Amino acid sequence: MHYSILLFFLIVAVISISVFVYVFLTSKQSDNNTTGMANPLQKRFWFILILLVILGIFASVTIPKSPYYLFADEQPKAVVHVAAMQFNFFMSDSAIDPKMPKGEDSITFNTNELVEFRVTSLDVNHGFAIYNASNKLIAQTQAMPGYVNRLRFKFKEPGTYHIFCLEYCGMAHQLMRTTFTVK
Amino acid sequence: MCKDFILSICIIVCSQSLVYCQSSAGWKEEVNVYNKIYDAPITMVSGKKTSINTLAETKPLIIALVFTRCYGICTPLLLQLKESLPYKHDERKYEVLVVSFDSRDKLKDMQRLRNQLQLNANSNWKFAITDSISRLVASVGFNPVWHEKIKQFEHDALLVGVNSQGYISKKLIGLRSENDLSMMISSINNIFTPTYRLPGKSAMLSCFNYNPVTGKNTPGIGLLLIALPAILSMLVLIVINKLVHRKEEI
Amino acid sequence: MTSRLKKITSLWITTVLLLFVISIILGITMRFNQAEVIRLSPITFYTDMTVHGLTMIGIWFVAGMAAVNFIMERYVKTSKFVNILALVLTVVGVLMFWASTFIGKFHAGWTFLYPLPFKVMWSAWATPLFLYSLAVLAVGWLIWCISLIAAMLKKYSITQVFAWQYFKKGPKEETPPFILISMITLVGIVTCLITAIVLVVLLFAEYYSKGTFVNDALLMKNLTYFFGHAIANEMLYLGLAVIYEMFAEISGRPKWKTTWYVSLAWNCTLFFILTAFFHHLYMDFVQPEGLQILGQLASYLASLPAAGVTVFSIVVAVYRTKINWTLANLLFFIGVMGWVVGGLGAVIDATISNNFVLHNTLWVPAHFHTYNAMGNVLFSLGFFYWFSVNFSNSRHSEKLSALKLFLLIVGGIGFLAAFYIGGADSIPRRYSNYPAEFVHAKTLALIGGVFASIYLIGILIFFVNITRRCVKILFSQSA
Ligand code: HEM
Ligand SMILES: [Cu+2]
Repeated sequence: MHYSILLFFLIVAVISISVFVYVFLTSKQSDNNTTGMANPLQKRFWFILILLVILGIFASVTIPKSPYYLFADEQPKAVVHVAAMQFNFFMSDSAIDPKMPKGEDSITFNTNELVEFRVTSLDVNHGFAIYNASNKLIAQTQAMPGYVNRLRFKFKEPGTYHIFCLEYCGMAHQLMRTTFTVK
Repeated sequence: MCKDFILSICIIVCSQSLVYCQSSAGWKEEVNVYNKIYDAPITMVSGKKTSINTLAETKPLIIALVFTRCYGICTPLLLQLKESLPYKHDERKYEVLVVSFDSRDKLKDMQRLRNQLQLNANSNWKFAITDSISRLVASVGFNPVWHEKIKQFEHDALLVGVNSQGYISKKLIGLRSENDLSMMISSINNIFTPTYRLPGKSAMLSCFNYNPVTGKNTPGIGLLLIALPAILSMLVLIVINKLVHRKEEI
Repeated sequence: MTSRLKKITSLWITTVLLLFVISIILGITMRFNQAEVIRLSPITFYTDMTVHGLTMIGIWFVAGMAAVNFIMERYVKTSKFVNILALVLTVVGVLMFWASTFIGKFHAGWTFLYPLPFKVMWSAWATPLFLYSLAVLAVGWLIWCISLIAAMLKKYSITQVFAWQYFKKGPKEETPPFILISMITLVGIVTCLITAIVLVVLLFAEYYSKGTFVNDALLMKNLTYFFGHAIANEMLYLGLAVIYEMFAEISGRPKWKTTWYVSLAWNCTLFFILTAFFHHLYMDFVQPEGLQILGQLASYLASLPAAGVTVFSIVVAVYRTKINWTLANLLFFIGVMGWVVGGLGAVIDATISNNFVLHNTLWVPAHFHTYNAMGNVLFSLGFFYWFSVNFSNSRHSEKLSALKLFLLIVGGIGFLAAFYIGGADSIPRRYSNYPAEFVHAKTLALIGGVFASIYLIGILIFFVNITRRCVKILFSQSA
């Protein structure tokens, strides 16, 4: 997923740069006899239409894959309450008291079971980003004070997963993290 | 000058309206959600014996925990529930079960309560007592405290939503809006809402109020604030245009 | 053209370039700290980051404004007083902001996302000073925009200034593309500055109410990104207005003329740019789904008119056409190229299903640095270069041109590549130090820092040349 995005980007970037370079070279080679366009701001209906169609296809393919629709019609097997707080994550099977936040020392799920994270924050905005065993970002949601975000996910591979804060939250933001295990 | 003035108006208006929404019980609603409720055997006013899970299997439940000698919140809670539920909600999607958590309550006390509320004819409301009060209240995270002096329990106004598999899908504490009730009915019917607000924070400036009946968000005051700059800048444009051309005429 | 305006513009250029060099040095410092070549405390790092971000946004915004103001004088009479006032308020605002950060250690990031500014991890006075500095900047810029809008409306009717007459057959009057684009952009900027003021008022309300008034986090996030997204985009459009006017002129080609579809495209932009900001809240599931999808569609559509029309126009204007290439129009041309590449990175990130794994990774600084450092900056540099050469009676010295471009391009590509690869590697943005799990992070930071230094050398040559000429203009008797 991650590198294919990069690859896709590289391909389209190289194509566009080549077009520019080519066009530049044609300008360099042209002599005084070529007149060029009198007004470059003329109709180009086709160009815009093609762009519109490409973007339309792109949108209709990607929108259904949005995370809001993930596993919406299944019952979760495990529910974890997450309270983010400068500069810690509390995770627990039971609800977390904001006055005395306490989490469990270790959290474990089974592979392929549907897990629901109920994520909130007790102070500022934080991020709740799940990294798999090879440290790639696979799912995330924001932790916003006053709101609970429900992120549903199934973990396919066993291992240790890390959670990092991905919304800047102050001077120890880079240290804000925790883990859970999938077996 | 002008800014200070606007500022103070803002503060006054806002602080006035905020006094109403102070409560900090938000997190308690999360306690025990998604746990199984204790499958307590219950006796209904009709004398029929059954259990909570058996009832829930036929129709998802909204359980209200009350005691009949309550001087406080119990009656208002039930009255409000009675007033809010018939509108908009499909009776096939839920059933209300009123259970006493006071061992002094007998079937005839529950019967009296039902009469008081004029719910005799309503088959969607069930009144019951149980022998396993302590296990039931523990399974939903409810802690009434007995005060010997006033002979009263100190307790929250609690509604528990139980889906047909017997899981607690949502809890509501306190007298709550119709929206929250609707969200509870959605949740006991296993309809997923990706998010919800916690009660107790300022709700005045929120952008959206989620309405689970229609599944839609209705704009709140907050949204107006987002649209305001765009509207203001159009006004600025029109005003400048007027001013500029008036000068010309003179 | 009055010599007063030239002097003010020279002052703007000198100020912008000076602040740019300082901010780049802060940027390189950040990269080297992430590479652990140097060691700063996290507070120092995040203070640097806050200063770098807001200063950069501020200077490239005013650079575009100063250029637009200068060119607008060709069509209408603009107020020199307001221009100076904006300069003074900008300098005062930046100094206040720097005091709150460098001295007070305020470090909530340039987006100062509520409620972070109130979790005081710095001197208590730094928060209000920061908010006041924002207010000073916003008010100064608002006055400037309104004065330019008023100047245009004095000469052109509303219909004409938005080029609506092109929707009818055989339009009688003409609207120069420069006027159309400036107007659309300035209206957008006014909207976003008003948002900034609403935001600051809400923050002050909470600050001075001492806890009786509490803001809603979702609303504040929406307002923050409405403002932040809009200003970052509109400042690019200021640069485009300059290109629509100057590219043909510098290239020795006939002037560009508005057509009906250019008018339609830019009028649409006004709307899309104000709704595209929803893409900053994709990972806030509390935002209603409808708005999330609107965000994706608006982000896609925003690229159509502005990019589709402008990019295509530049390309066909150059294709097989004899052009008088100078450093100025080369910078414009390369800048448009950088803008396209950055835009591609942005469209990828504005797709919700990609955003799920890219949001707040280094992909974000990757794409916005592409269309800033390799796009907008080059637009403005092109203008600065043309302006300083043209009005200081100095001969074109094209000697260093190739070297300067080489340094900018090579430095820029290396610096950006390190960001893009980091983003695909899921490395978080805004981390003062990288956890050991991210094995390539430090190496990438080092590469980024080294290439950014190459870019800086290119900028320094520009800085010396351009400011020398600008100082000459500033102290010349007549012009
Ligand atoms: C070659 C020159 C530049 C260098 C070396 C540089 C470096 C950096 C670095 C290292 C960061 C922090 C990245 C992170 O999140 O880990 C950053 C952030 C940023 N930069 Fe630059 N940058 C440069 C040019 C620019 C330009 C031209 C702009 C113009 C708008 C800009 C605007 C920003 C902004 C807005 C941020 C975000 C700050 C924040 O997260 O609060 N930068 N830059
Ligand atoms: Cu955090």
